[in-house]
Amino acid sequence: MNSHTLLLLNSTIAQTLDYAAPILFAALCGVISENAGVVNIGLEGIMRFAAFFGVWGAAIAKNPWMGLLWGIALGIILGLMHGYITVKWAGDQIVSGIAINVMALGIGTYLLQAVFKTTGYSPPVPYFGAEVNRIHFAFLKHIPVLGAFSDLTFLVWLSLITVILIHFILYHTVLGLRIRAVGENPQAAETLGVNVFKIKWFAVITGSVSAALGGVALSLGTLSSFTNAMPMGKGFIGLAAMIFGKWTPFGALIASLIFAFAQVLQLLLQSTASGVAKMIPLGFYLSLPYFLTIGALIGVVGKAVAPAADGIPYKKEG
Amino acid sequence: MKALEVKNIVKQFPNVLANDHISLSIEKGEIFAVVGENGAGKSTLMKIIYGLYTPTSGEIYVFGKKVKIETPEDAIRLKIGMVHQEFMLIPRFTVTENIVLGDEPHRGMIFDYKRAVKEVRELSERFGLKVDPTDKVANIPVGIQQRVEILKILRRGAEILIFDEPTAVLTPEETEDLFKALRRLKAEGKTIIFISHKLKEVMTIADRIAVLRRGKLQGVVEKEKTNEVELARMMVGRNVVLEIPHVEAKIGKTVLSVRDLTVKNKRGIIGLKGVSFDVHSGEIVGIAGVEGNGQAELVNALIGFTRPVKGKIELDGKEIKLLTPYNLRTKGMVYIPEDRKRRGIVLPFRVRENIIMGQHTLYPFSKNGILNDSEINKFATKKLEEFDIRPRNIHVRGGNLSGGNQQKLILAREMSIEHKFLLASQPTRGLDIGAMEFVYKKLVEEKKKGIGVLLISLELSEIMGLSDRILVLYNGEIVGETTPDKTNEEELGLMMLGLKRQERVLQ
Repeated sequence: MNSHTLLLLNSTIAQTLDYAAPILFAALCGVISENAGVVNIGLEGIMRFAAFFGVWGAAIAKNPWMGLLWGIALGIILGLMHGYITVKWAGDQIVSGIAINVMALGIGTYLLQAVFKTTGYSPPVPYFGAEVNRIHFAFLKHIPVLGAFSDLTFLVWLSLITVILIHFILYHTVLGLRIRAVGENPQAAETLGVNVFKIKWFAVITGSVSAALGGVALSLGTLSSFTNAMPMGKGFIGLAAMIFGKWTPFGALIASLIFAFAQVLQLLLQSTASGVAKMIPLGFYLSLPYFLTIGALIGVVGKAVAPAADGIPYKKEG
Repeated sequence: MKALEVKNIVKQFPNVLANDHISLSIEKGEIFAVVGENGAGKSTLMKIIYGLYTPTSGEIYVFGKKVKIETPEDAIRLKIGMVHQEFMLIPRFTVTENIVLGDEPHRGMIFDYKRAVKEVRELSERFGLKVDPTDKVANIPVGIQQRVEILKILRRGAEILIFDEPTAVLTPEETEDLFKALRRLKAEGKTIIFISHKLKEVMTIADRIAVLRRGKLQGVVEKEKTNEVELARMMVGRNVVLEIPHVEAKIGKTVLSVRDLTVKNKRGIIGLKGVSFDVHSGEIVGIAGVEGNGQAELVNALIGFTRPVKGKIELDGKEIKLLTPYNLRTKGMVYIPEDRKRRGIVLPFRVRENIIMGQHTLYPFSKNGILNDSEINKFATKKLEEFDIRPRNIHVRGGNLSGGNQQKLILAREMSIEHKFLLASQPTRGLDIGAMEFVYKKLVEEKKKGIGVLLISLELSEIMGLSDRILVLYNGEIVGETTPDKTNEEELGLMMLGLKRQERVLQ
C-alpha cells in the first residue's frame, strides 16, 4: 500500500469516527432510555442545549473540559425534566420530547445573541479537536486501519467506550436485566419487587447525559463553535441508528458508522466530482446521508422489534 | 395453624364497592378456593392481599401476625406469592431470567447467569415442575409458562400461593398437570388459594370453598359437604339450571357447506386437512376437540382471515370465491370470537360504538360518511335493554365491562346483523354461570329462528347439551360424526384424543 492510499484510508476512517460520535451518543441515549420503556425524541433538543452550553462553558473557562461539564449538567437537568413529565406523572413521552425540542430551538437562538452578541454562529472557543487536546498514539500512525486511531479526540474515544459500557450494563449486570425487564413488562417487574420508577429515572437521566455528550461532540469535537443550525437532525438520525441497530449498543455503533460514512462519502464525492457529476447540484450530496437514513429504515424497520412496553407510560394501579 | 386471615376487608372503587367487609381465615397446608362470578370481587381481594391494591379498610394477618401489605415487595417478604391470570412474564427473556428477576444471583454488580440457571434447574427438580431453564419464554407452551410463574414465586420462598383463575388458559391435559403440581405443593406444606369460577375444578381440587357475590362473602363450605348445584346457587343468588332445554331441530336447507378444506396455520404447517361438512338451517353442529387440533385454522378460514390451501366454502348455496371477512359477513355469516378482547370488541371504544361496528357504514347509522349519533344511541339503548347488558350506559368503554357483559355486547351486535349462519367459537370461554346460561339461551333461540349454527367448544358438556350433531376434530381431521343421544362424554373423549375413529359418509 503506498503512502497516499494509506493516508486516505486512515483519514477516511478517522473522519467517519468523528462524524459518528454525535450520532452514536444520540443513538445510545435512545438505546438506554427505550430499553427501560421511555421514548426520548427530545434528544435533538438536548443535543442543541448541550452544544450551546458546552461552547459557553468552554468560552468562560477557556477550557473545553468545563464545556463538557456544563454540557453534562444540561443533560442531567433536561433528563430530570423529561423524567418528571414521563416517569413521575406518566405523561406523554412524545409531547414532552417535542416540548424540549421546541424549547431548545427558541432558547438556543436567543442565548446565542444574548451571550455572544452574534447570530448564526458563536466565536471560536477552545475545543477537543485542537492539536494539544487530541489523544495521540504516534506508533500507530503508519499501520493501515489502526492508524485511524492514532489521532482522535477525547469525545470519539468516549463514544466508543460508552458503547462497551452500556452493552456491559444492559447484558451483564443486574441493573441491566432490570432495565430491560422494565422496558418489556413493567407490571411483571413490579410484582417481583423491582422499583420500576427508580429504573426509569436512571435510564432517562443516563440517556439524556449521553445525548448531551453528543451535543458537546458536535460543537467542541471537530468544530470549535456553536452554529445556530445545530444539531441539524443529528439527534433524529441517532434515533434512526438506534432502530437500525435494533435497540442494542453495538447495533447502534454499526448504524452510526454507516450513517457517518455516508457523510464522509458525500464530502469525498463533492471534492472529487468531475464531468457529469459536477452538474449534480450540491443539495443532492448534502441530502445523501438523510436519504440513506430513510432507505436503511425502510429496509430494516419491519424486522426490528422495539421493547414491548416502549413508549407506554407506566402507572401503578390501585 | 392459620396461614392467612383477612378481617373486614373493604375496597371502594370510584363506581363500585368491590369488596364489602370480607373476612376469611385460611389454614396452613390447605387448598382454599375462592369462587364467584366475574366481577364478584375475587381478583380485587387477592390483589389486596398481594399489595397491588390498598384496601379502603380492613386488617390482614399472616401466620398470626397483623401486617400491612402496601406493595408486592411486602407480600413477597411475608412469603405470599401470586400466579396472575395474565402471566407476568417477559417473552423475550429466558425461563431463568424470568424466574430470578428482582432477586438475581450476582457477583458485585454482575449478573451471574450460570449460577441462576443452576438454581432454576435445582428448583424445578425439587418441586417436580419441569422446565428448561435456557428456553426463551416466547417459545414455550402456556402450560410451561405457568410453571415458570409458579417457580418464580417458589424461589422467593412463598408459603402462601395465590392462583388467579389458573386454568382459564390451559388445555385439559395441562390442567391435569397443574392439579398434580398443586397436590404436591400441598404435600410440601404450602398453602394454596385457588380462585376460579369453574365449579367442577373447584370440587376436584379444593379442601374448602369460599363463595363471593357482588363483593360480599356468601359463605365458606367444605368440599365434602357441598355440591356444584349448591355452590352455583350461592354464586348467582338463585337456582341456576345449567341443563340446556332440548329443542327439536327443524332442519332446513344447507346454509354452510365446506368441502375438502385444507388450511395452513401461522407457522406455515397444515393444520386442517381436507375437512368436509355441512350445516343446515335450524340446527346446531358442535365441533368437539382438544384445543390446537385445527379449530383455529377452521375459524380463520371461515371468517376469511387465512386463505385456504385448497377447498371450497359455500354460504347459502353460493360458493364464496374471494374469501375475505367483508365478503363473508355481507353474505350472511356472523361470528362470535373465542378471544373477545382481541377479536370481539375494541376495548377503548364506547358501547355505542362497539355495538354498531361492522354496520357503521350502513343506513341508518351513517349517511354519506357522517355518523348519525341519535340513531346510533337509539339502537344501542334498545340493544342494551334487549340483551341485558350492564351497566345500562351506552357511553361506557368496552374495556370497562365485565367479561360476561362484553360477550353479551358481541352477541347483541352479531345477532342484530341479518344472517343465516352463526359461527360461535368457544362462546362461553371465561364466562361465569349466569353469562353462560344467557349465551346458551341465545344460541337455542337462533336455532329456533332457523339459523344454522356451528359451535366450536372445548367444553364437552356444552357440546353434548347444545348440539344436534357432533363432529370431532383431531389432528386437523374430522375423526367422527355422531349425535348426543348416540354417544357419551367418554366416547367423545376417546375420539378427541385420537384413540377411536369413526368412518363417515358424506351424503
